[in-house]
Amino acid sequence: MAEASISLRQRLWNPEARLAYILLAPAVVVLLAFMFYPIVYVFAIALSKTNRISQLKGFVGLKNFIDLFSDKEFWQITVRSLYWTAIAVAVKTILGMVIALILNVKFAGRRVARMLFIIPWASAVPISSILWRWVYHPQYGLLNATLKATGIWPAPPTWLGHPLTAFTACIWVDIWIGIPFMALVFLAGMQAISEDLYESAYLDGVNWLQKFSYITLPGIRHLLMIATLLSCLWTFNDFNTIFILTRGGPAGTTDILITKIYRSAFEFQKFSPASAMAVVTFFVLTILSIVYARIYFRQEQT
Amino acid sequence: MKWKSRGKPVAIILTVLLLLFLLFPFFVMLSTMLKPSREVYTTPPSWLPKRPQFSNLIRLWSEFDFAIYFKSSLIIALGTMALNTLLTVPAAYAVARLRFVGRKFILYLFLVIQMFSPVIVVISLFKTMAALKLLNTYYSLILANSVFTIAFTVWMMNGYFRSIPVEIEEAALIDGCTRGQTIIRIMIPIAVPGMVTTMIYSFIAAWNEFLFGLTFMQSQARLPLVLALYSFVGRYSTQWELLSAAAFVALIPVLVLFYIIEKRLVAGLAGGAVKA
Repeated sequence: MAEASISLRQRLWNPEARLAYILLAPAVVVLLAFMFYPIVYVFAIALSKTNRISQLKGFVGLKNFIDLFSDKEFWQITVRSLYWTAIAVAVKTILGMVIALILNVKFAGRRVARMLFIIPWASAVPISSILWRWVYHPQYGLLNATLKATGIWPAPPTWLGHPLTAFTACIWVDIWIGIPFMALVFLAGMQAISEDLYESAYLDGVNWLQKFSYITLPGIRHLLMIATLLSCLWTFNDFNTIFILTRGGPAGTTDILITKIYRSAFEFQKFSPASAMAVVTFFVLTILSIVYARIYFRQEQT
Repeated sequence: MKWKSRGKPVAIILTVLLLLFLLFPFFVMLSTMLKPSREVYTTPPSWLPKRPQFSNLIRLWSEFDFAIYFKSSLIIALGTMALNTLLTVPAAYAVARLRFVGRKFILYLFLVIQMFSPVIVVISLFKTMAALKLLNTYYSLILANSVFTIAFTVWMMNGYFRSIPVEIEEAALIDGCTRGQTIIRIMIPIAVPGMVTTMIYSFIAAWNEFLFGLTFMQSQARLPLVLALYSFVGRYSTQWELLSAAAFVALIPVLVLFYIIEKRLVAGLAGGAVKA
């Protein structure tokens, strides 16, 4: 017994561990003060009544959550957040895969092409979103001008003016930003697959679809999973695109959870409902993050 | 090999088509930036300026207070970079090289919080910043940006420290260096390339940051560039030719920096299966 307790003490408090705690302390303190404490505080707001300047006015238990769960709009926005994420991630994955397959062909200029393909990801998201607003401009925007001039769509819509087209316009910008990361990850995975596999497949007279589904896809399966998960998190969290393009409008039809939380708090001063929503979102994100972390870790160990 | 050469023309054609499609907003930005304002607001708008001119890039500095916003962004980004590095390097060294209880837990925790959305905490962080009287100061953004980049930079730095052979450090310890000396004289100099990556990453993150700036900065005088651009959109008369020019100048630094770290960034995000 005595021996065990000494060894535990030694494990917790030896020169090496002490140094580690000292080196970690600044980062941990800052995280505690500016990340964990705010999270705890959001929980506190969610369990309380608040006034318009977000002061706590008494504990109300789960009332805010009960109100939230009986609010039809909340469920609409939750469902919208889910299909926003599902659609965007699916399209990013498919287009990312297409670009990776193209860039995996050894043609002259593919390094330049690779650099150019990255630009939408490398750019600042808020700036790209502002540029897209200009591209979508109903009167002077070059998107509609191009659609009309080429005859692709003689009467294009006022993109950001109607619920469905605004949602489409927003999700496209989110997709557009997310494609390059997918493409780069898939490309890296494809380049790690041995050439020999493809050559023997060629000798066996295998067609491109078989090659893709029996060699390429299994070869990047792991990366596919991690990239999709990461993309789900980013997409679900994409505040900037929607806020800058439509601010959730017209009439809240492009709001997803993350924009709704912000707007409830800072536009409508409804701090308690906003915090309740933030708590729900927090749990969703934590679960997704843990799945990501587990897969990431498993891969690091092998 | 035959099957490769057959794919080449197809790949080139598809690349060109896809790039034309995907880079369209940047084409619009360049085209608008090079037009005089009377050419911007015509219906139908023209694809290209009749005679490209660079006056919008100059007007930016005289009519847009561009220098002020650029300076704000620079201070915030450099401040974030400095604070992030000060916090990241010791923490990353500890988790990469030292044995202590809770090491794995900390690594795991950092990987999880890396994905947290700032929106979740911004409500209470706003109150914290107000209580600390940091609203409308660069400090609020430097702090918030550092906090939200640290998890990822510790991860990247942890990976870098681990790639340095342990023997180098052991040799120094045997030669009579203390741990502190080993870290400062041996490990940090070797880790410079890794540090450059995390520094660039935090710089870019701060430069591109929108949400905290939107919430914490009410005074026009200290607005970072990205928020200044946003504040000019949706006004009664948005001057898109100036905004395009401003977007162009604001994007140049991040694009250049992004290309330096792009491969390491992908490797850091996707994990060990991708080689940096």
